[in-house]
Amino acid sequence: MRRFARSAAAFVALGLVLYAAVYGAAEWLVYRTGDANPFYKIATLPERRVDWVILGASHAMPLDFAEFNATMERETDKRIVNLAATGAGVLYNRFVLEQFLESHEAGAVLFVLDSFSFYDRQWNEGRFSDVKLIRRTPLSGSLARRLLAYGLAHGVPLTAALDYLSGFSKINNEERFERDVWEGEAKFERVFRFSQVQDRQRIAYLYPFEQVDAATFERYWAQFADFVAFAKARGLGLVVVKTPIPAHIGAMIPGEADFDARVAAFLAAQGVPFHDFSGVGNDTSYFFDTDHLNRKGLTLFFEQRLKPILAGIPAPAAPRP
Amino acid sequence: MLFNSLGFLAFLAAVSVGFYALPRRWRWVLLLAASYYFYALWRFENLGYLLAATLSAFGCGWAITHSSRPAARKAALVAGLLFNLGLLAAVKYYDFAAGQAALALRAGGLLGPEGDLPRLGLTPPVGLSFYAFSVVTYLVDAYTGRMAGEDDLGRFALYVAFFPKVFAGPIERARTFLPQVALAPGPDAQRIVAGLQLIGWGLFKKVVIADNLAPLVDRAFNRPLYAPPVDLIVGAYLFAFQIYCDFSGYTDIAIGASRLLGFDLLENFRRPYLARSTAEFWSKRWHISLASWFRDYLYIPLGGSRVGGPRRYFNVMAVFVVSGLWHAGLGYGVGWGFMVWGALNGAYQWAGLATAPLWRRAGAALPRVRASGAWHALRVLFTFHLIAFAWIFFRAATVGEAFTILRRIYGALGKLPMMVRLYPFGAAHYTAAALIALLLAVEVLDERRPLAERLAAAPLAVRWALYYAAIFALLILGRWHAQQFIYMQF
Repeated sequence: MRRFARSAAAFVALGLVLYAAVYGAAEWLVYRTGDANPFYKIATLPERRVDWVILGASHAMPLDFAEFNATMERETDKRIVNLAATGAGVLYNRFVLEQFLESHEAGAVLFVLDSFSFYDRQWNEGRFSDVKLIRRTPLSGSLARRLLAYGLAHGVPLTAALDYLSGFSKINNEERFERDVWEGEAKFERVFRFSQVQDRQRIAYLYPFEQVDAATFERYWAQFADFVAFAKARGLGLVVVKTPIPAHIGAMIPGEADFDARVAAFLAAQGVPFHDFSGVGNDTSYFFDTDHLNRKGLTLFFEQRLKPILAGIPAPAAPRP
Repeated sequence: MLFNSLGFLAFLAAVSVGFYALPRRWRWVLLLAASYYFYALWRFENLGYLLAATLSAFGCGWAITHSSRPAARKAALVAGLLFNLGLLAAVKYYDFAAGQAALALRAGGLLGPEGDLPRLGLTPPVGLSFYAFSVVTYLVDAYTGRMAGEDDLGRFALYVAFFPKVFAGPIERARTFLPQVALAPGPDAQRIVAGLQLIGWGLFKKVVIADNLAPLVDRAFNRPLYAPPVDLIVGAYLFAFQIYCDFSGYTDIAIGASRLLGFDLLENFRRPYLARSTAEFWSKRWHISLASWFRDYLYIPLGGSRVGGPRRYFNVMAVFVVSGLWHAGLGYGVGWGFMVWGALNGAYQWAGLATAPLWRRAGAALPRVRASGAWHALRVLFTFHLIAFAWIFFRAATVGEAFTILRRIYGALGKLPMMVRLYPFGAAHYTAAALIALLLAVEVLDERRPLAERLAAAPLAVRWALYYAAIFALLILGRWHAQQFIYMQF
């Protein structure tokens, strides 16, 4: 058995060397195919300072589809980086912002707010375990440390840190040779043909509950308040917006009016500008799916609503007396 | 906890270390605790079914062994069989049968349009089909005197619940398993290596081959009315390999894990797609532990092949229809498709029995043709196509969908060359083809000389290179976030 144990140890040692080589190749591919992942953008951003960091979930992502971000930069004469990610709630966005500020500086944050992420763990702690995000995230010591710290402080699954550090999802990435783009980008130019079935499916996906779990909501509300406080403490200007969504979709979202009222009251008290554009510029021809703006809708939204906001840099907010 | 998860590998490692660290007489206790933990992880309430099967079989087995009156022994056997097979029938088939009966009664006007029969609404526990059949072997073998009844409830409970086999077999015989509990040998390097080889190969078949074929199979079978005919043909062929790799992968892991713990389980697969007849496929190569169960506990008691003429044909068909019924499960729904699949395979056996004298005469007249490699290959190919054809009824959601698939494939046969030329084959298809070619190459080599022997005789560098290739294929190509094993759903 002793000879067997020695042989097994040698086998494992050589295996680890080979694993490191495969890991290196997978990491190289992450840089070769990287695009939409927020951490890839942070790792490859040439400037140290940007004027705007855009955060949020998928509703903020079309702002970086095709050449749209470059257009916004040209039109506003501001350097903008979009770090939104699909399904990302407040906790994940806070993590992304902290990671960004580790190596960069920003003038202000544009936070694209969605209510769905306040109702479920999957949009917050759960996002960290999403292999689609992990497998496109470049290896970074500070990110690994932060992931472990979030595991201890916020209950982010430690398996996410294990997966990230081991590189397993990168090595095992079945889309390893494909560019990292969200599937929505391919539909950016399209006009969606709405159907009641798909509308209902979308709402059921984002708001699967019959009754709001108050404790869960308050947990993520507290994290939203922490996020605002964090931005202020770091001297960042902060603007919170809601993007347009079709009126009939908006009407299907449970408790949205109450949510909006609470957000408006809280942000007003914090001195943070809040623009609810969910009910404007929301003709159904402006969407490429049930609730994401297509190029036509986004162009209109930018020209009429977002451009004036992005053209200036708000001062860090102070609570109103 | 699935076999294709990191959690299981960690669990197995921990149980193996604990097993050999303990004194021999306590090892079975650790295995029993680990097995109940493993089973309860899936769904805690299911433990009730496992305990019910264990206690009922143990009690009846005890009565069979310790009673001197033949009538009492027989009553104990009948009670044990009725309880366990009744439990299986009630949990697995009752709701489906009640639904079908209600349909018939409504059609016959015996039930109103809104009328229905009561349902149990029970969720069948994973593995019940397997451990219910296992305890049947114990009861029958104890009754017929093939083995003495087990007096130790704990060891018997381990036989029923042993975690490598509890979900999907092999359907182990008590008379071969229970003596091994007492043996509990110490760690043996050769057995450990053999066990790890099997686990690695089983994982490869499951997560690399079966789960990479699954999306192409689903693409065909999930929309039989709209999928292009080429998709349907590809899906039908690939399903034959998907189900083989999925199930034999599970079995290899189960046998490999058992070997690590000093147990030998029954061989369950022997390169089935190299069979030269459907009779050989079913009797010697596919799901051997189930086929031999049907042979020993249904076919032979019915008279087997000792009876002549129509009765023998009836026995064969009975075995295959009951086998179809046994397979009716959750994964692809309880439905008539499994019965059609069973009957179709029974019909193959009928055709084989009826034409056997003809083939014997032809073989005697043409001995060189009979011995030729080309004839051998032709028979293998023909058998494979018969089996793959029957799998369509197994995999399709309904019998109607199976016929839709067959009708659409048949309708496209004339235009097939053009369709294949225009079909946008992609990386997934080429990967699938390469994996199947690899699988068949390994199986052919194994058929000629067992791979384990070849590996043992190979230089260290070759062995290690193969091990690393398999491990890195698992890491790079494996679909670890994929599905549970198909046969865990039966």
